[in-house]
Amino acid sequence: MTSFVQAVRRNYLAGTLSVLGGLLIWELLSRYLVANALFLAAPSQVFAAIVALARSGELWRHVGISALEFALGYVIASILGILLGLGMASSERIKQIAQPWISGLYATPTIALAPLFILWFGIGIWSKVLVVILLVLFPVTINTEAGLRTTSERLTEMLRSFGASPRQIFFKVSLPSALPFILAGLKLGIGRGLIAVVVAELFGSRAGLGRLISQSADAFNMPELFAGVVVLAVAGILMTAGFTWLEKTLVPWTKD
Amino acid sequence: MTPKVTIRGLSKRFGALEALRDINLEAGRGAFISVVGPSGCGKTTFLRIVAGLEPASSGEVLIDGRPVRGPGGDRGFVFQSDNLLPWRTVLANAMIGPEVAGRSGPQERRRTLDLLKLVGLEGFEGYFPRQLSGGMRQRVNLARALAIDPEILLMDEPFSSLDAQTREIMQTELMRIWEQGRKTVLFVTHQIDEAVFLSDRVLVLARRPGRLQESVEIALPRPRALAIKRTPEFVRYVDHIWRLIEDDVRASVIEEKV
Repeated sequence: MTSFVQAVRRNYLAGTLSVLGGLLIWELLSRYLVANALFLAAPSQVFAAIVALARSGELWRHVGISALEFALGYVIASILGILLGLGMASSERIKQIAQPWISGLYATPTIALAPLFILWFGIGIWSKVLVVILLVLFPVTINTEAGLRTTSERLTEMLRSFGASPRQIFFKVSLPSALPFILAGLKLGIGRGLIAVVVAELFGSRAGLGRLISQSADAFNMPELFAGVVVLAVAGILMTAGFTWLEKTLVPWTKD
Repeated sequence: MTPKVTIRGLSKRFGALEALRDINLEAGRGAFISVVGPSGCGKTTFLRIVAGLEPASSGEVLIDGRPVRGPGGDRGFVFQSDNLLPWRTVLANAMIGPEVAGRSGPQERRRTLDLLKLVGLEGFEGYFPRQLSGGMRQRVNLARALAIDPEILLMDEPFSSLDAQTREIMQTELMRIWEQGRKTVLFVTHQIDEAVFLSDRVLVLARRPGRLQESVEIALPRPRALAIKRTPEFVRYVDHIWRLIEDDVRASVIEEKV
């Protein structure tokens, strides 16, 4: 029991203190030093704004739209990315055709295309979904391809010695050994997807957390602006933590 | 009676490199035959050709008089590195052979459990490879090859990554298992004493190209205990084989340094 307490203390105490300390400094700074509601909002005011937005139902409208855009784009990009990665790993020709586009677009800050997509597809959700797809697709594709390509020669040979067919080798060795890579690509996609949603909404939208942030900024409503940012941060943290848990459950052999 | 394994005029080239030249062998059912030689003599290539993992450039490998065309359920391969699938438990790893052949029913499962007991892994069926020691992982490697109930075991330096004590334990365990099942074994090793201890016959290969230098019959009584390694007869065999390959080994050591 004491060792458990000690472990908690060792692992979480410093982090918790650091966060609480940061919040305290922020609170004091915005109350006494900056003390200008047009520049900064105190954590207590941000919290109050979140509660008020949630009560009025406005928060859920924004969260709902952003979540829908994110989910649609993320799921489509994941499926496409995994399929494209599979294709590139199994055919040299597909790889040669796709590689320059993927390398080029992965390195390009494609988020800059967001205004263009809004021009083309309007300010509804689909322009945002497209931006999400564009940002999530590449890390998933690249990781899937890399995971399949780095399948251990020795494990493949072991299966071959038992007379396994290429199909059996794929499902029993290649796919499971690529799984940690695919999951890492999907995890990378979460952060990129959230950025895509918010930035695309900033350029033009009717609702969504990006919209909430931009309209709060226009109105110098600092508590609501920070409220939007905090909600996004929490969403990012929760999803990433969920993924870490998923990795531990699905691919425990890569840990320790 | 046809020998279990017949090898006739087996040669293998990798481009300009002549890996094996004109290897011939007849192995009777239940024989334990080792292949020793300096590194680069092609002994692993030899085993891979018998396994059907690698085609021969010329010559042929016959099993029960029928030529080998690829891997098959009549041969179980025990790898140098254990090659266990890290996401599978010990039992699931050992079951991979039957599973690939489309036989993973309760009967196969029971048989595999018995094999795990035979190799001394009772109680570890649900463990993952990362939770096992090197010696235990090699036991799974062996059980996995035995799980397809092969008539021939092909073993590629299976104990080379183990420490000296564990290796000697594994040698006696292998003897015990072999005496129970009497499979035909082709065992590749670079340890001369291991080859003499285990085998009925030791094939000594020379390098560049890999070719059969001498086939040494080991006329030591069975069952053999570890203590036999200290008898003069045993030491004579080891000395004899060592003298056959000594110059080659020195040459290969120098080459590796360069």
